[in-house]
Amino acid sequence: MNGYIIKRTLLAAPLLIIISFLTFALNHLSPLNPAEVVLRAQGVPQITQALIAETEAALGMDRPFLIRYADWLASCLRLDFGDSYITGTPVWSLLGPALLNTLKLTMVSVIAILALSVGLGILCALKEGRLLDRSVRGVSFFLTSMPSAWLAAMMIWYFSVKLDWLPTSGMDSSAGYILPVTVLTVSYAGIYFRIIRSSMLSQLYEDYTLYARACGLPERKITLRMLKNSMQVAVSVFCMAVPVILGSTVVVESIFAWPGLGALTVNSILGRDFPVIQAYVLVLAASFVVFNTLSDLINAALNPRLRKEF
Amino acid sequence: MTIHRKMWSDKLTAISLTVIAMVAFLGICAPWFAPHSPEQVHMELRYASPSWQYLLGNDHLGRCVLSRLIYGIRPSVLWVLAALLVSLSFGGILGILAGYFRGKTDQMIMRVCDIMLSFPGYVMSLAVVGILGPGIQNILIAFVIMKWAWFARVIRTSVMQFAEADYVRFAKAIGVGNAVIIWKHILPVALPDIAVISSSAFGTMILQISGLSFLGLGIQAPHAEWGMMLNEARGVMFSRPELMLAPGLAIVIVVSAVNFCSDALQAALDPKLQKNTRKPLRGQGLFPAKPKGEEVA
Amino acid sequence: MRKKSTIFVAAVTLVMLLAGCGAAENRQAEAGKPGQELVYATVKDINDMNPHLYPGSMPAQGMVYESLVENTADGIQPLLAESWEISPDGTVYTFHLRQGVTFHDGEAFNAEAVKQNIDAVQHNSAKHTWIRLSSKIKGTKVTGEHTFKLILSEPYYPALLELSMTRPYVFLSPKDFQNGETKDGVKGYHGTGPYRLTEHLTDQSAVFEANAKYWNGTPFISKITVKVLPTGETTFLALQKGEVNFVFTDDRGTDSIDTEAMDRLAESGAYQVVRSEPMNTKMIVANSGKADSPVQDKAVREAVWHAIDRDTIASQIFSGKETPAGTLFSSNVNYADIGLKPRAYDLQKAERLLEEAGWTRSGEETRMKEGKPLTMTLFYDAASLSQKTEAELIQNTVKGIGMKLELLGEDSSSIASRRAAGDYDLLFNQTWGLAYDPQSTVSAFTSETAYYHAIKGISRAEQLKDEIEEVMVTTDEEKRKALYADILTTVHEEAIFIPLTNGNLTVVAPGNLQGIGFKQTQFELPFERMSFK
Repeated sequence: MNGYIIKRTLLAAPLLIIISFLTFALNHLSPLNPAEVVLRAQGVPQITQALIAETEAALGMDRPFLIRYADWLASCLRLDFGDSYITGTPVWSLLGPALLNTLKLTMVSVIAILALSVGLGILCALKEGRLLDRSVRGVSFFLTSMPSAWLAAMMIWYFSVKLDWLPTSGMDSSAGYILPVTVLTVSYAGIYFRIIRSSMLSQLYEDYTLYARACGLPERKITLRMLKNSMQVAVSVFCMAVPVILGSTVVVESIFAWPGLGALTVNSILGRDFPVIQAYVLVLAASFVVFNTLSDLINAALNPRLRKEF
Repeated sequence: MTIHRKMWSDKLTAISLTVIAMVAFLGICAPWFAPHSPEQVHMELRYASPSWQYLLGNDHLGRCVLSRLIYGIRPSVLWVLAALLVSLSFGGILGILAGYFRGKTDQMIMRVCDIMLSFPGYVMSLAVVGILGPGIQNILIAFVIMKWAWFARVIRTSVMQFAEADYVRFAKAIGVGNAVIIWKHILPVALPDIAVISSSAFGTMILQISGLSFLGLGIQAPHAEWGMMLNEARGVMFSRPELMLAPGLAIVIVVSAVNFCSDALQAALDPKLQKNTRKPLRGQGLFPAKPKGEEVA
Repeated sequence: MRKKSTIFVAAVTLVMLLAGCGAAENRQAEAGKPGQELVYATVKDINDMNPHLYPGSMPAQGMVYESLVENTADGIQPLLAESWEISPDGTVYTFHLRQGVTFHDGEAFNAEAVKQNIDAVQHNSAKHTWIRLSSKIKGTKVTGEHTFKLILSEPYYPALLELSMTRPYVFLSPKDFQNGETKDGVKGYHGTGPYRLTEHLTDQSAVFEANAKYWNGTPFISKITVKVLPTGETTFLALQKGEVNFVFTDDRGTDSIDTEAMDRLAESGAYQVVRSEPMNTKMIVANSGKADSPVQDKAVREAVWHAIDRDTIASQIFSGKETPAGTLFSSNVNYADIGLKPRAYDLQKAERLLEEAGWTRSGEETRMKEGKPLTMTLFYDAASLSQKTEAELIQNTVKGIGMKLELLGEDSSSIASRRAAGDYDLLFNQTWGLAYDPQSTVSAFTSETAYYHAIKGISRAEQLKDEIEEVMVTTDEEKRKALYADILTTVHEEAIFIPLTNGNLTVVAPGNLQGIGFKQTQFELPFERMSFK
């Protein structure tokens, strides 16, 4: 097991490096000259060619690409992503709190998604083909087809305005979580519900289930065993869902005025604030890799068979 | 499987397919079906209620909501479809190559796929829009860049099963060229899998593009697009909620039709195949493939 | 067992579904919160409150910091300076400071603090070119505990006006300075104003509490909370539910709530809508200095001017709450009543102008001249509902005369930096308000952080620059009038600033709030004068 952990973790490292390299390179696709953008952000009134050259030198842009990349990576590891073009403050001072807020929303949502999709997934797999199964699936299809902006608008209108139960926006109180979490849950639970249901079903047809049945093992024992196995799927779904939801809260945050990553990113895009965009991509892609690795490690711990794959 | 159930699911599939076909047709022939020009401004009709002349009313510039809805099919559905096809053919070709030839080719292609798949899709779309600036072309570009890896991976797995089949071995043995084998023997059997994954990706892509347009990062004025229409209705969301209804419903209807079709396709494939897709796919390379649904990222 | 697990699973699911109903008590709407508190909504965070730089929110800075003198409807009045004298040659200003004023951190406000603040501003002069006074200050001198001398290099008539502005010549406790400077950030935000900043959660909220030791008496409203609500519809809902109870047009002129929604709030009785007199002119700035752009062509700018249906904009988009504007400054602005000839909404005239200038078209195509299409980009503030609608309307109208406008919604700070860098064809802007017009807006014509690029391309650019330089220093009233007339005529002729409507400040406040007024600047509100009935 230890060997597997080391191997698997080591494999994540080159991927992280490639990701960081791509993120760094991405910024160079921008049609704007970074030196010019920096000058403009500093409010320098007249940007001359000489000034651009000077700034390029000051920013070290005349050095070889790879060296600049190494420097950038080193500072990123210290959470120094440079300064925002718009506010002039360090990117991390913007990104850090926003990440925390989005993380809070994400965690609560993923737990809700997990509870709902595991519960319904198991239930429907056990009742495969019956009315319950079919109606839950039908409803889940319908709900996952809704644009989250639309769903959010209707929920606010109904629960906050019409019934006056919940706050419309913000994260001042725990009640403020309910609507955004519900919207995210409704939008994404359907997808994970399908995964869990399929994996449960595939176990129903697994040889060991057939064998157990043939041996006359009581049905409840078989179910219990399946439940245990499906926990494994649930864990991997959880690890998978965290970074996905983390990157998908943009619309919901925008509607509920949630001071998180999504709002920050949209503002940065509208303000052409490249360092923030770059840091956002890097942080999220890295978290994607970390969570994927984590999911594999947990799975391996639960299911020794998988460790041999490497 | 009872006859009743089959009927039920068939009927739903039939309805869904009809809806999709009709929407596509309406979009292609928008100039003939739209009662007005989608960009014609009538300020005196600002926020007018539905009338016989303007069946769904008028928006904040007095433009015909129905016409905008019909023209909106083009970017919201058809362009997304085009991006899907581009991405699919790219991913498909690489996936087939990887699955058929195995060895080094496979290794290389799958490594690149792993890297692409480690960027969450929504984040990548935002990154591309952030670097290249808002605009629907840029989102579509992001889609193509992001989705092909996913397609390549799934198609590779599907192709791999058939590449080892006896009839393929036989064909190889008697000296049939690789291209012919792929074209005649591999592609047709891999097609159902391709159909399933592309249809499920289609739905999420439509939703994503409407989400980005809603945020003002998608299509730019004056073009009609459903997410954009939601965005325009947003400012008056609570004084004129009806303006959000039409584009929102359009998205829900099209996406659920696509989703139902995708599900029916999956169910219609023979049980053996179904069982294969159900099993969590485990890649052989660096990073294990994730269960289906990952492309929602 | 199977049944049991089914029930358990179903129960868990149900709990999840019902979670949304957790807070199911029918709470009373908190509209018009008891106590003496205001909660106002703003599109953006209050940001860096350093008063010597520009990213911060002006209404917030206006509550915390004060200037030496105040600009009122009756002219310049004392504020932190009780009185002042101007030397006969107009170059030395002696201020007698108010005694017994302290900063929020307890530091005494005295001549030394004034000198340190003004010096700190001057050390960062590149940022302040728009305010011409910054280039005229030659020296600062402490001549007594409460006497301070400001020495100018030459007489400058708007000196007091510019000292009255919300920034940069306002006063921060010298204890907050970093190494004696403010340009690289400050350690705290202690001013002398009626409110002090007590809490700030970036992108969420900020709390201002009444300054109990305020020299002019403790303000009635004990607490003002600023809540960040980026979009209009959430703001409207939050108002309806009482989560916020105050909204006003912010310092960038962003109007996120549509007029109709505001009227509905007022009808409910819980709120009142108060509008100021027209304070500014909303306009489109045409960048005559943009190389390779059709906007360099005067005929194109004039055509845009003629193609804007201001009456419809005022009556439809603003529901008649704003009036159409024909010139950059309305005639009630000082020196601006010079009888400029407005350009009417006239599409045929616009087409004729384009045709004469060589922009030709075949059929319904976009016009071309020397192989270049008549295509321009118009930038608007993505947070402003009205700007987007206006832009779309104009886009549609000019399409009819063969001009293609691309619209790009951006963040307001991005638009400001475009303006400074000259990286635009057309963009939405507004004049700076009664306190600043015409002198600050006119002096901004040549300021490199404002309209420098917009003016750069016209034929009389150099001459205009000299005239603007002169009008600020001349002491001869008649000459000043003539110069202003000349300057304003030039930019009008060149169609640089294409007026749209005369804008005002709008406040949505609780129905029982009294004392709602406006200052001469459109960027701040006199919160200290407001109280609940």
